[in-house]
Amino acid sequence: METVIIDGLAFALPLFIVAIGGIFSERSGITNLALEGFMGMGAFIGALAVILTKEFFPALGSVSFYIAIVLAILGGMIYAMLHALVCIKFKANQVISGVVMNILAIALTGFLTSQFNSVIFGKPSSKFVLDVLGRFSVPLLSEIPVIGGFFKDIYPFQVIIIIVAIIAWYVLYQTRYGMRLRACGDNPHAVDAGGADVAKIRFSAVMISGALAGLGGICFAYSISANFSSSFYVGYGYLAIAALIFGNWKVIPTLVACILFGFARSGGYMISGMLELPSTFSDLIMTLPYILTMILLIFFSKNNHPPRALGEVYDKGKR
Amino acid sequence: MSDYIVEMRHITKRFPGIVANDDVTLNIKKGEILAILGENGAGKSTLMSMLFGMYEPDEGEIFVRGEKVKITSPNEATRLNIGMVHQHFKLVQDYTITQNIVLGIEPMKKRWGFLPYVDLKEANEKVAALSKKYGLEVDPTSKIKDITVSVQQRVEILKMLYRDAEILIFDEPTAVLTPQEIEFLLKVIESLRESGKTIILITHKLEEIKKVADRCAVLCRGKLVDMCDVETTSTKEMARMMVGRDVTFELNKKEANFGKEVLKVENLTVKDKNQFEVVKNVSFSIRSGEVFAIAGVSGNGQVEIADAIAGLMPVANGKITLNDKEITHMDIRERTETGVAYIPEDRQAYGLVLDFSVAENAVLKDYFKPDFCEKGILKREKFDAYGNEMIEKYDIRSGQGVKTQVRSMSGGNQQKVIIAREIELDTPLIIFVQPTRGLDIGAIERIHEQIIEERNKGKAILLISLELEEVMNCADTIGVIYNGEIKTIKDAKSLSTKEVGEYMMGVHS
Repeated sequence: METVIIDGLAFALPLFIVAIGGIFSERSGITNLALEGFMGMGAFIGALAVILTKEFFPALGSVSFYIAIVLAILGGMIYAMLHALVCIKFKANQVISGVVMNILAIALTGFLTSQFNSVIFGKPSSKFVLDVLGRFSVPLLSEIPVIGGFFKDIYPFQVIIIIVAIIAWYVLYQTRYGMRLRACGDNPHAVDAGGADVAKIRFSAVMISGALAGLGGICFAYSISANFSSSFYVGYGYLAIAALIFGNWKVIPTLVACILFGFARSGGYMISGMLELPSTFSDLIMTLPYILTMILLIFFSKNNHPPRALGEVYDKGKR
Repeated sequence: MSDYIVEMRHITKRFPGIVANDDVTLNIKKGEILAILGENGAGKSTLMSMLFGMYEPDEGEIFVRGEKVKITSPNEATRLNIGMVHQHFKLVQDYTITQNIVLGIEPMKKRWGFLPYVDLKEANEKVAALSKKYGLEVDPTSKIKDITVSVQQRVEILKMLYRDAEILIFDEPTAVLTPQEIEFLLKVIESLRESGKTIILITHKLEEIKKVADRCAVLCRGKLVDMCDVETTSTKEMARMMVGRDVTFELNKKEANFGKEVLKVENLTVKDKNQFEVVKNVSFSIRSGEVFAIAGVSGNGQVEIADAIAGLMPVANGKITLNDKEITHMDIRERTETGVAYIPEDRQAYGLVLDFSVAENAVLKDYFKPDFCEKGILKREKFDAYGNEMIEKYDIRSGQGVKTQVRSMSGGNQQKVIIAREIELDTPLIIFVQPTRGLDIGAIERIHEQIIEERNKGKAILLISLELEEVMNCADTIGVIYNGEIKTIKDAKSLSTKEVGEYMMGVHS
């Protein structure tokens, strides 16, 4: 049971921070299917930083992990500016732009990963191998039966994610910027009439979205596979979107949705492990938690409402 | 230093293809209520939008408090203490009233000395105080999506007052309100003048101008045609200046000639989606050649009666018969075929497909018939021919003929498309719901004439309107609805406006 919690959280928290990125973008009114691309690009830049520092500054040791996090955030943010530019400045269709961003990210990161590997290290590989991160447990709390799992074998990035998530929540709900951002997603005309710049707010919201997705991406790279390849993150961006829709575009319910997804995944692994099935069947069992989630979605998302102005190009003249 | 608070000199504004304002010079005195009168498209809103900084004039100068200014944005206008209530409210549905009011100038505080946050508590108090001061009662913490349109309008007014606006522009403020709400708003506007504000009222309703305004500027096709004292000018004169020709308020209506019973509604009960009875046990009938009008305050179930007859809402109980054929549970197309034409209240949501052309909208109820369709393939050239015929016959004005997207057309011309389509169905029953909502005086006149024309041809007409004047003018028989029940059905000639008003308020029983 403890492993279900431990593994579930290690998956749920990166997913959560990516989903918060999605919330920032979508609450400002920009549809963001590009989370996966932001995530992949951020993770790629972060992972690249790790292997370069390992190669040229081996003395840095575990500091490279923190460099990776900072660069992943920057990488995601810069890549997201492309989506923002296309959607806000050039008023293109946001769904198409999002899908293109994802495809482009897979192609680019795949290509660049093997190029860097062969040019710098002289070995043909489509992966960047990362360190295995150390984990820690909170003394005493981790001793509690079952619930102790929440405090046991924690990755350092999980703490970072929780801190960043709290800051993100505060910004979104308590600050002037957050208030204007959410207003942009509901009725941008009101923001304009109030004297704020809709385009600027939306642009920055998409950049924050990229930053948070980049952070989530590098954390996934460390937790799931301890390496980076262009295919490791496929599907998680869409899962984050599912989580934020499930969470009604609100931070706390989205956290619940992410934890549900995380536990469904680790629970699925546990079940298939216990049944000792051949791998072809264990794959089938792994779908069960997601099917369960789909069913829950049907029952609980009836009252969900996307932001009113989501996906609409803002045009001052149109009333 | 002049005694005018705002002077607009020789303002010209062009949009692609039209001159919206042509050399308009307008002076506004401090502390007056100035009405700007004109038909739809006369350039009233454009002129005032320039004062509010939404557009910049191509030519001409604006002076505020004697100083020449360039108003480049609404922000700039706010700094000059100019505020505007737009026709379409600019409110965030998911926010509270206070949040909407402070948006853009949020009061900030620091938590524990360093964490900035938006301080809504103090703002709530300030909004409550303001709302008390001006008699604009609102609950600062309720959300926009939960309040009525008239309260939303109060929020827009409070938004201006919160920003210390001295010059208040109202763009068609009464278009969305019921008679009582209009009464209330006009009182508020007067009390704002009492407290020293300057008010500009954009409207095409003459009674309102007569009631509150001091002076009236009349615009016609972009030009300022006259500036008159409201006190000494009759509404008839104002109407003539606005339209550019004489306007008759009296409808030329010949004696009614009733035929057999066309529509019979028996014990009709309609429930809304919360299973609440919005129409309770209503019975009436309409004969051919009769205009039957249902008068009532908005939201008393009158629209639901029309929707139930047209098939947009299910009938919970009762029976609807059209020419001896029961239509209670028919689907909409069957009803159309049996003989119901319907001009809905919300023309953009239910009457038209906004992104379709005039021609396509004109055949929305016929496109599947052999005239327009063969073996499932549409005959587009027939659409266009028919559309052209309609444009000719109903005087529909559109930029690119039958190909014009109806979205780009004015409300009056959109309504003409719907009326053309429905009248051409040539059905024994025509339902008009709020047919003149938001239209200008010329268009209203034309629609009233059309209603009477159809009546004279022997159609049965059901007219549902919130405008008491419209009901009194057009109807042969009036039914007054209150709280889902028809309180009385009487010959229109035997009822005075006052009596109908009393029934509408539920005081007469």
